[in-house]
Amino acid sequence: MRNWLLPEHIADILPATARQVESAKAAMLDLFRSAGYELVSPPLIEYADSLISEGDDALDLKTFKLVDQLSGRQLGLRADITPQVARIDAHLLSGRQGVTRLCYAGSVVHALPSGLMSSREPLQVGAELYGYAGIEADEEIIALMLEVLSQAGVAGLRLDLGHVGIFRALAAAAGLSHKATRELFLALQGKDVGTVNELAGRLAEPWRAAVLALPELYGPADVLARARAVLPPLPEIDAALDQLAALGDALKGQAEIGFDLAELRGDDYHTGLVYAAYAPGWSEALARGGRYDNVGERFGRARPATGFSLDLRDLIRILPERDSVRGIRVAAAQLPAAKAEIARLRAAGEVVLIDYLGESAEALYCDRELIPAASGWQVVPFN
Amino acid sequence: MTITIALSKGRIFEETVPLLAAAGIVPAEAPESSRKLIIGTNRPDVRLVIVRASDVPTYVQYGAADLGIAGRDVLIEHGGVGLYQPLDLNIAKCRMMVAVPEGFDYDDAVRHGARLKVATKYPQIAREHFAGKGVHVDIIKLYGSMELAPLVGLADAIVDLVSTGGTLKANKLVAVEHILDISSRLVVNQAALKLKYQAIQPVLDAFAGAVPA
Repeated sequence: MRNWLLPEHIADILPATARQVESAKAAMLDLFRSAGYELVSPPLIEYADSLISEGDDALDLKTFKLVDQLSGRQLGLRADITPQVARIDAHLLSGRQGVTRLCYAGSVVHALPSGLMSSREPLQVGAELYGYAGIEADEEIIALMLEVLSQAGVAGLRLDLGHVGIFRALAAAAGLSHKATRELFLALQGKDVGTVNELAGRLAEPWRAAVLALPELYGPADVLARARAVLPPLPEIDAALDQLAALGDALKGQAEIGFDLAELRGDDYHTGLVYAAYAPGWSEALARGGRYDNVGERFGRARPATGFSLDLRDLIRILPERDSVRGIRVAAAQLPAAKAEIARLRAAGEVVLIDYLGESAEALYCDRELIPAASGWQVVPFN
Repeated sequence: MTITIALSKGRIFEETVPLLAAAGIVPAEAPESSRKLIIGTNRPDVRLVIVRASDVPTYVQYGAADLGIAGRDVLIEHGGVGLYQPLDLNIAKCRMMVAVPEGFDYDDAVRHGARLKVATKYPQIAREHFAGKGVHVDIIKLYGSMELAPLVGLADAIVDLVSTGGTLKANKLVAVEHILDISSRLVVNQAALKLKYQAIQPVLDAFAGAVPA
């Protein structure tokens, strides 16, 4: 019986990586804390209908479900922490009227892996800002996202900015049905020009030309000027382009910046700005986020919201392993005499371990040992 | 900044050569005569990888290749997750059709709601097509020689690519329904288009300018 076998896209995290994951996680949470983001830990399981908002088919498919023996209701294993944090802001913290900053780090489970190389148990780390609709909030969150990634050791960051509002404004102005909007949305996500051509064929001008132009509106800053020339002057579109331009200016210098007006790869709940960070070595975005105003409405309070998240397991996969500190060996024969000295060293932050079998330095992952000396105890090289 | 293009041997490669030429890229060897899977070009920053047609989307999705050329049939079966498909190259054109043995009354079978047995290499496309018509089918996935299936009683109908119709005719089958027009598409890894924009965009533009009408 192969009872050691794990399900597909599910993996253990072994010592070397686990150390790396934990220290990266701690560093990220420290950074969030220093920027005023409070840590929350929502539950692993909840009622499915609070995890998944109506019509979010993608999240629904991703969510493992089971039946609650206590209530008979359907439970879901969380596939995304963002809606949980939105619930917390909307309901539990509803006494707070001002800006609320929350962050989290925890495992989520996906019934279907999101990519070829993706784990079905991502370690989602993220930060969310509620209660301020101004673009400064997006700037704050994006800067935090970039800082968290550079702190983790990612080099060559590229920030991609998009705005779901442009597509939504076009779809509304063209009078597209819900189904047609959805089809076009999916085709644009993939810049699937063949399908976009087919779908846009039914639209009246100027909407047709605008929709056809969207898949080509990506690249460096000149995209915004091109967009102003080809997109119809709807107030929502002008506002979106202004926001993108302002953000591009504000974040200049923190990463190479690109724009993509057909970048609709945010989640279903995104309503405005969307952003993603890319870096050489990763074949998908490392971190992504966006504005999702009013998601909390179904929990009783609609609030402006913006936030990002990343999968720490995916991030760690490519990062070089950082040298971790080797330990100090103590031969078992030195006990119990060495006890006080061991406690002192451990309190000073050293890794001290007892060698029962007389193993090699490599097997013990130690480079020093504790030996008795004339004047007490001494730490000497060990190899 | 090196860019890697995934291509398959045969018709797609032959019809891609003029597009590559328009982008100033000339393969150093012909894949038909070479056994190499990685082929250099006249440009030191461009290389080609030769893979099976149905594997092209996987290589590009994973980022093992930045660009690739794949038929619409292959892309629909793959699902297109993680890929951009910015260009219809209008090459390697054919049609996805339903074909049945001569004398089989397809319309009658469909009308009576019979559960059809359909042999195909393209289960996604076949399933979607028959679901759209409201017909129940059992899909039999085969990897080649689809035309044989109805002749030996393995299936009532096949869903397959048809270019000239010669193979159907030789095996006494007739095409009864047109599902999709197929042509090859340029696919691009999403992260590569962002990270290697300066290198990839000129190739895209050159391809777009050289697409046959």
